[in-house]
Amino acid sequence: MSALAAAIQVLGGLALAPLLPGTIQSLKARMQGRRGPSPLQPYRELRRLWGKSLADPQPTTIVYRLAPCVLAATTGLAILLVPVGGLSPGWGLGDDALVLVGLLALGRFALAAASWDTGSGFALMGASRDLTLAVAAEALLVLAIVLAAIPADSTGLAAMSAAANGSGIWSEPGHWCAAGAFGLIVVFETGRQPIDNPDTHLELTMIHEGPLLEYAGRDLALLQWSAAARHWIVLVLAAELFLPHWGGFGAQLVCLLAGVALLCVGLALTETAQAKMRILRAPALLAGGCLLAMVGLASWLAGGLV
Amino acid sequence: MSRPRRLRAAEPRQGVAAIEVEGSRWRESCRRELGDGARFCGAYASGDRLARRWSALFADGPSTRVLTTRVDRDQLPTIVDLVAAAQWDEREAHDLHGLRFEGHEPLRALVDHTVDTAAWTTPVEGRGVHQVAVGPVHAGVIESGHFRFHVVGERILHLDTRLFYKHRGLERAAEGRELPDGLRFAQRACGACAVTNAVAYAQACESVLGLLPTRELRRARTLLLELERLYNHLNDIGAACAGIGFASGNMAFAALKERAMRLNKELAGHRFLFGSAEVGASRLVLASQLAGRTRGQLRELRQDAAQVWREVRFSGSVQARLGGVGVLDRDSAARLGAVGPAARASGLEQDTRSDSPGLWYGSSFAAAGPEARTGDVSARLQVRASELESTFEVLDDLLSAPIAADIASPSGPKAPIGVARVESPRGETVCVLEHDLFRLRRLHLRTGSYANWPALAEASARNLLPDFPLINKSFELCYACVDR
Repeated sequence: MSALAAAIQVLGGLALAPLLPGTIQSLKARMQGRRGPSPLQPYRELRRLWGKSLADPQPTTIVYRLAPCVLAATTGLAILLVPVGGLSPGWGLGDDALVLVGLLALGRFALAAASWDTGSGFALMGASRDLTLAVAAEALLVLAIVLAAIPADSTGLAAMSAAANGSGIWSEPGHWCAAGAFGLIVVFETGRQPIDNPDTHLELTMIHEGPLLEYAGRDLALLQWSAAARHWIVLVLAAELFLPHWGGFGAQLVCLLAGVALLCVGLALTETAQAKMRILRAPALLAGGCLLAMVGLASWLAGGLV
Repeated sequence: MSRPRRLRAAEPRQGVAAIEVEGSRWRESCRRELGDGARFCGAYASGDRLARRWSALFADGPSTRVLTTRVDRDQLPTIVDLVAAAQWDEREAHDLHGLRFEGHEPLRALVDHTVDTAAWTTPVEGRGVHQVAVGPVHAGVIESGHFRFHVVGERILHLDTRLFYKHRGLERAAEGRELPDGLRFAQRACGACAVTNAVAYAQACESVLGLLPTRELRRARTLLLELERLYNHLNDIGAACAGIGFASGNMAFAALKERAMRLNKELAGHRFLFGSAEVGASRLVLASQLAGRTRGQLRELRQDAAQVWREVRFSGSVQARLGGVGVLDRDSAARLGAVGPAARASGLEQDTRSDSPGLWYGSSFAAAGPEARTGDVSARLQVRASELESTFEVLDDLLSAPIAADIASPSGPKAPIGVARVESPRGETVCVLEHDLFRLRRLHLRTGSYANWPALAEASARNLLPDFPLINKSFELCYACVDR
C-alpha cells in the first residue's frame, strides 16, 4: 500500500501536475464559449521551453541563477510530504504540516530574492505583491492546519487526513470553517481569480506571473512546472484534509480523484464568473479567511471545554 | 426619415472661416475666440522654412474658425496658458517643424525620442517615489507606447506617456498628391477609425472643390460611420472586461464584435470598412432586400448586446472594480480638450454628430450621457453602452429605405481651406487640408485619440498601478492615430 502511495505521489506530483492547470484552462475555455487549448497544452509548453537555451539578464548573480532550482526542489520535497489516500510513505522526511509551510515559504523567498536580483520593475512588483499577500496567506495556512491538527492531535498530515476520515468530523463547525479558509489558500497558491489572473498579459496587474517574466528556457520550464506542482500540492491537500473521504486506501483514492476533479471545476467556474478583485482588497479577503479560521478555532476550543 | 438638425448653414456642410492674424495679436485673437465660447480643436504648422505659418482651429457649433499667423524666425507666443489642450500640438510642432513657443516652459519633447528621459518627463520628487517604466514592447499584442509611472508603492502620482514610436510621415507623404488621392493616406492613419478619417478627408476635400453631398451620399456615410462605431464600442466594452480579468464578458463582447465585423464585410466588402468612403461619391448600394435583412440582423445583435451588457453591468465583482476608478472630472476634461465618450462621461455635452449637417443625423439626435456624470471608468462604459443604443437606432432608421450609389453635386461654393470635423468612436476627429490648385499642400489629421491622450494621463494619477490597464481600456485610445 505504502509503495503504491509513494508511486502515486511521485508520478502524480512530477508527471500529472501539469494536467491540473491544463484541465482548468480547458474547462474555462468551454465555459466562456471558446474551444480553448487541450488539457495537454502545459506539457507542450514544458517540452518547448526545455529545449531552449537559458538567458541571464545582466547584471544578475547566483541568486537569480539558483532560484528556479530552489523553487523546484522545495516544491519537489513538498510533494513528498503530501499524503495520498490517507497514506504518507515518509521518504525519511516525515509528513509534518509545518515543514510543508516552511518549504512553500522557502520557494516563495527564492523567487522574490531572484526578482530583487534582476531589479526588473515587473518582477519586483509581482514579488512584492506576492509577499504582501503571503503575510496574510501564510497566517491563514497555519490557522487552517491548526484547525485540522486539533482533532488529529498531531501536525502529521497523514494523521490529520485520518482524523478527517468519515462523516463524523463534519458535525464539527470548526472543520467547516477550516475547509472554507483552505479554499482561499487554494485560490491564492494556484494564483487564480479573484486574487490573481493567470491568463493576463497586463504586466501591471501581475502577481505570480511577474517574477517569471525575466526567465526563459529551462529556468522558465522549471518555474512553470513548480506552479503546476503547487496546484497538485494544494488541491491534493485540500481533498485529503478538507473534503469528505471514507474508508481504506482504495476508497480514499477514489475520493481524492473526485475531490481534485471537483476543485478543478470549482476553480474554472470561479474564474469564469468572477472578475479579478482590486489588489488592495485581496489582503482583506485573506484576512476574512483568517477570521473564519479564528471562529473555527473558538468553536474547537469551546467544544473542548464542554 | 427625420431631417438633419440645425439647417442654419444654407448647404449641408460645416462652415469654415479662415482668418489671418498678425503675429503680435496672436494670443489676443485666440483669447477672444475662447472667450466667445469657441472650443480649441487643434493647431498645425504649414509652409516651409521660408514662409512658416501656424494655424489654430476653434469649433463653434457646426462651423470652424481657422486662425492663421505667419511665423517669424520660427518663433511665436504660446497659447498653452490660455488653453491647455494646445499642449501636444505645440510640442509636436516644436519637434517636427522646429517652432519655438515663447512662454511654453518647459517645452518637453513629444515626438523627438533622441532626448534623455529627463527632457520629456515631469520631475516628481519625494520620499519613496520611484519610476516604473512600461513598454514600448508589451507582453500582449499592443501597439508601441512607453508609459513612465511615478509611483509611491502601488499609487500612481503622475504618468508621462511617450508615444509616436512608429511615425509614418503620412501627412508629409500625402503632400503633392492630387486631392482625391489624399483620402487613402488619411484613411490608413488608423484601422479602427478608417471610416471617420476617410469621411473627414472627403468632406474637407469636397468643401474646397465646391462639391455638396447629396441625400444618398450623406445617408451612406452616416451608415458607414455608425457601423464603425458599432464594432468599436462592442470591442471597447469587451476590452474593459479584459482589463479586470472578466473573461466571460470579454468573450461575449468579442463574439458580438465579430458579428458586427462580418456584417461590415457583407455590406461594404471589408471588415474594417476600408475603402468604403471616397471623395465626391459613394458606391455603397443596399437594395431594399439586403437592407431589410441587415436590419433584422442588427435587431438581433441589439438584443444580444443589451443582454450581455446587463449581465456584465450587474455582476457584483465587475461593479466593485469600475466605480470611482480613473476619475476625469469635468473641469479637467474641458481644460485638456477631451472629446468623445470620455468627455461625455465627465459631463461635457459635446458630440460632433449634432453639428454635422453633411451627415444624416436626425433633429432629435442628442449627445449620450451616463446616468451619473462621474467621469470614472463606470461612466465611460455606460456612455458607450447607451451610445450603442442610439447607434442601433440610427442604423435601423437608415436601413428602412434602400441606399443607392450617388455622386456629389458640383454646385457649392469653394472654401479657401478644407476643414471637417467628424465624430469617431473615440471622439471628434479634425481633418484640415490646404491645396494649390488640385494638389495637396498640407494635410493635418487630429483624431479623437490624439485629443484624449493627455486626459488619460490625468485620469490615471492618484489611482493604483494595477488599475491602470482598466483605466487605459476605458479610454481605449489608438496609438496609430498619433503615428501618422
